[in-house]
Amino acid sequence: MTDFLTLILQQSVNGIYLGCLYVMVALGLTLIYGVLNQINFAHADFVTVGAFTAFFTATRLATKVLGMPDIAAYLVSLVTALGAGAVLGVVVSAAVFAPLRRSGADELRPLIATIGVSVLLENGQLALFGPVPYQFDSPLARETLRVGRIFFSAHSALVVAVSIAAIGALYAFMRFTFIGKALRAVAQDRETAGLMGINQNLVIALTIVIASALAGVAGALLGPVVVLTPFTGASLIVKAFACVIIGGFGNMEGTIIAGLLVGIIEAFTVQYLGSGIIDLVVFAMLLAMLVLRPTGLIAERKEENV
Amino acid sequence: MSLLRAERLNKSFGGVRAVQNVSVAVPEGSIFAVIGPNGAGKSTLLNLLSGVYQPDSGSLSFNSADLVGLRAHQRVRLGMARTFQKIRLFRQLTLLENVLAGFHIHQDLPLWKCFLPVAVGRFREEARELLAFVGLEARARERAGALSYGQQRMLEIARALATRPRLFMLDEPAAGLNAAEVEFLLQKLTHIRDKGATVIVIEHNMDLVMNVAQRVFVMDHGVPLFEGTPREVQSNHQVIEAYLGGEFAA
Amino acid sequence: MAAAPWLITTPYWRGILVLCAMNVMLALSLNLVLGYTGQLNLGQSAFFAIGAYVSTILIKTYGWNFWLAALAAIVAAGLVGVALAAFAVRLRGHYLAIASLGFAVITYQVLINWEDVTEGVRGIYGILPPVSDTVGLFYLVAGIAFLIYFLLDNLVRSPVGDTLRAIREDEISAASLGVHSAVWKAFAFGLGAAIAGLAGVFYPGFVGTLVPDAFGIIESFTMMAMVIVGGAGTMIGPVIGAVLLTFLPELLRGVGELRLMIYGLALTLVVLFMPGGIVQAWVAVRNRLRS
Repeated sequence: MTDFLTLILQQSVNGIYLGCLYVMVALGLTLIYGVLNQINFAHADFVTVGAFTAFFTATRLATKVLGMPDIAAYLVSLVTALGAGAVLGVVVSAAVFAPLRRSGADELRPLIATIGVSVLLENGQLALFGPVPYQFDSPLARETLRVGRIFFSAHSALVVAVSIAAIGALYAFMRFTFIGKALRAVAQDRETAGLMGINQNLVIALTIVIASALAGVAGALLGPVVVLTPFTGASLIVKAFACVIIGGFGNMEGTIIAGLLVGIIEAFTVQYLGSGIIDLVVFAMLLAMLVLRPTGLIAERKEENV
Repeated sequence: MSLLRAERLNKSFGGVRAVQNVSVAVPEGSIFAVIGPNGAGKSTLLNLLSGVYQPDSGSLSFNSADLVGLRAHQRVRLGMARTFQKIRLFRQLTLLENVLAGFHIHQDLPLWKCFLPVAVGRFREEARELLAFVGLEARARERAGALSYGQQRMLEIARALATRPRLFMLDEPAAGLNAAEVEFLLQKLTHIRDKGATVIVIEHNMDLVMNVAQRVFVMDHGVPLFEGTPREVQSNHQVIEAYLGGEFAA
Repeated sequence: MAAAPWLITTPYWRGILVLCAMNVMLALSLNLVLGYTGQLNLGQSAFFAIGAYVSTILIKTYGWNFWLAALAAIVAAGLVGVALAAFAVRLRGHYLAIASLGFAVITYQVLINWEDVTEGVRGIYGILPPVSDTVGLFYLVAGIAFLIYFLLDNLVRSPVGDTLRAIREDEISAASLGVHSAVWKAFAFGLGAAIAGLAGVFYPGFVGTLVPDAFGIIESFTMMAMVIVGGAGTMIGPVIGAVLLTFLPELLRGVGELRLMIYGLALTLVVLFMPGGIVQAWVAVRNRLRS
C-alpha cells in the first residue's frame, strides 16, 4: 500500500469514528424534530449530562465502590448514561414539551423554552462540577488496534460498534414494532395518527426519551476523547445542527449520512486548521446550506398548505 | 370587459399536475364562482391568481397588467385581495388591530414621521365601518382569537376589504358556517359586488353559488370541465358525472 | 430615576446605573426584532460587539473623533443587521435561530482570530469614555436610552408597528394585505442592530478595556432573557427586564455563579406559564384587583 493511500484510509477511519459520534448526537435531534416539529436546543446538554454520569459511574461508582475492573466499569457507565439521558428526557418532555403542546403554543415558545433549559443545565452543571476539565480515562482509549497499516484505538472500535448497534436497534424498532410504526405515523401526520387511535402524547414522550437516551450514550462515548466540562455538549452543538440541517430535519437516513460526512471532513482538515476554525467552517457550511437548500440535501420538500 | 384574464395556466407539484391548461376570463363587476369536487385544483388556481404560487406556464393579467412574476404582496397594490380556506387571522391582536393592518397599502406616512408622535387616527373610522359592515363593531377591542368560527370568517373578510380591492377572491368562505351565517355571507358578497367590486369565490356550497354567481367555472382533477351560467352548469351532464362519479370512485 | 445618580454615591453603583442604561438599549433593540416582528434572533450580541469594536478601533488606531467613530460603528452594525435579515427572509423560526446563532459564533471567532485588527484575546486597553465623570456618563447614556425609548414607542404605535406585528402573527396573510415582509424584516433587523451597536459604542469606554469575551452567546441569551422575562412585544417590558437583570445579580451577590442558571430557569418558567412576562403578570393582577 502506498503511503498516500494509507493516509487516506487512516483519515477515513478516523472520520467514520468521529462521524458515528456526531450521528449519535444528531439522531436524537432529528427524531425529536420528526415528531414535534421542534428543535430541542438543550439536546447537546443532555450529552454533557450523559458524559458526567458515565464519568462518575466509571471512575467512582463502579470501580471504587463496587470494585469492578476498568473495562467493565466503562461498559456499565454506558448503561447508566443511557438511563440518565432517558430520565432527563422524561422530565423535559413532561415539564416543558407537554404543557406547551397543551396550551397550543406557537413555534417560538418551545424553542425559547429549550434554550432556557439548555442554559439551566449548563450552568447547573457548572455549579455542581466547576469549570475545570475532568480527566475521563477510559481503559479502551489507551489500547491501540491495528488492521494492516491502519491504526485505531479500541475505544473508536467500541464507538462504531455501539453506534451501529444503536442505529440498527432503532431501525428495527421503527420498522417492526407497533410502537415504532406509531412513531413514524405521528411524524408524518400527527392529526391523522391521532384519529386512528394512536396516543400522540405517549408516542411523543417515548420519542423524546429514546432521543435523550441516545444523547446520554453519546455523552458516555464522547467523555474519554474530549475535554470534559459542563460546556462539552454545547461545543458540539454546531456540528450536531450541521448534521441535522444537511441531512434534513426529521430525516434519519440523511442525518446519518451527514454525520459521517461531517466526521470525515473534520478528520481530513483537523491537521491543517485548529478546532476553532473548524467550527467556523462547519457553521459557514451550515449557513450556506440554509440559504441554498434549507430542506437539506436529501429531504423531500414539505410545502406549507395555504 | 374582463378584469382578470388567465390563459392556459399550468402548475405541477412534484409529479402532480394540480392545474392543467386552465383559461378563464372574469367579467368585471360580476360574482364568478369556481366549483369542483375535492382535489380539483381550485385552491391552487386561487393561489396562482393571488400570487402565492407562480405558474409553470401560461399567462395571467389583471386589468391588462401582466401578473406573472409579481409576488402576492405586489398584487394587493394592484387591487386584488383574498381570504384563505383555513382562516388566517392575527389571533393575538384585536379585531380593530386586524382590520387596521389591512390598510397597509394605503398608509402614506413617510418613515421618518413614524418615529414622531403622529396622529394615528387616520383609518380608525373606516376600520370601524368595515367592522360594522360585518356586524362585529361591538367587539372591536376583543382579541380575534376569541371569536367564533363564523365571526372569524367575517373578520377576515372585513380585513381584506380594508385594502379597497377591485377584485376580491374568497376560498371556500362558507365552509363551517351555519345556514344563517351563509345567508349573511350571501348578502355581504352581493353588497360588495353592487359597490363595484368583482368577486371570485371558490365554493362547495351550491346554494350560495346558484343564488349569487353570474358565471360558474367547473374544474375536476386540475382540468377545466365547463363554464357557464349557474343554470347551464346545473343541467350539464359532464358536471353531474364529475360530482357523482367522484363520490363513488373515491 | 433621573435623581438616582445623586442618591447613589458609590462609584461602583453609579457604574451599575450606566450598565443598566446600556442594557435597556440592548433589550429594546432585541425586542424590536423578537417581540414586535417575531424573529428569533440569537445573534444580537454580535451587533453589540460590532458597535464596540468598530468605534474603538477607529478611535485608537485611526484617531477618529469619538462621535464620528460612533456614527460609523452604528451604521456598520445596521448594515450587518440588514444582511442578517436576508437569512430571516428565507428561513422559518428554528432555522433562523440556528443561523443567527451561527452568525454570533462566527463573529466571536472573527474577533478572536483577526488579531491584527482586534488584538484578539489580548484585548484593547486604555479606552476612554466620551465623558470621564461617571455621573455625566450616566446622564449621557441614560439620556440616549430615553430618546431611543421615545422614538421606538412612537414607531410601534404608528402604522409601522401594525406592519411589524402583522409579520409576527402571520406572514402569509400579511402578504395578502400587501405587506412586503422581506423589506420590513430588513428594516427591523437593521434598526435593532443599529441600536445595539449604539449601546456597544459606550461600552468599551465604560469598562476601559475591550475583549471578545464580553460579546459571546451568553450576552445574546441575557438580552433575550431581559426581553422575555420583562414582557416581549411591549415597550415597558424590556425596560423592566433590563433593570431587573442588571440589578438582581448585584443584589444577590452570594449566588453569583448561579446567576445564569437562575436566568435559564426564569426564562423557561416564563415561557411556560406567563409568556407575556412581568407585564402580563402585572396586567393580570391589576385586572383582578379591579373586579
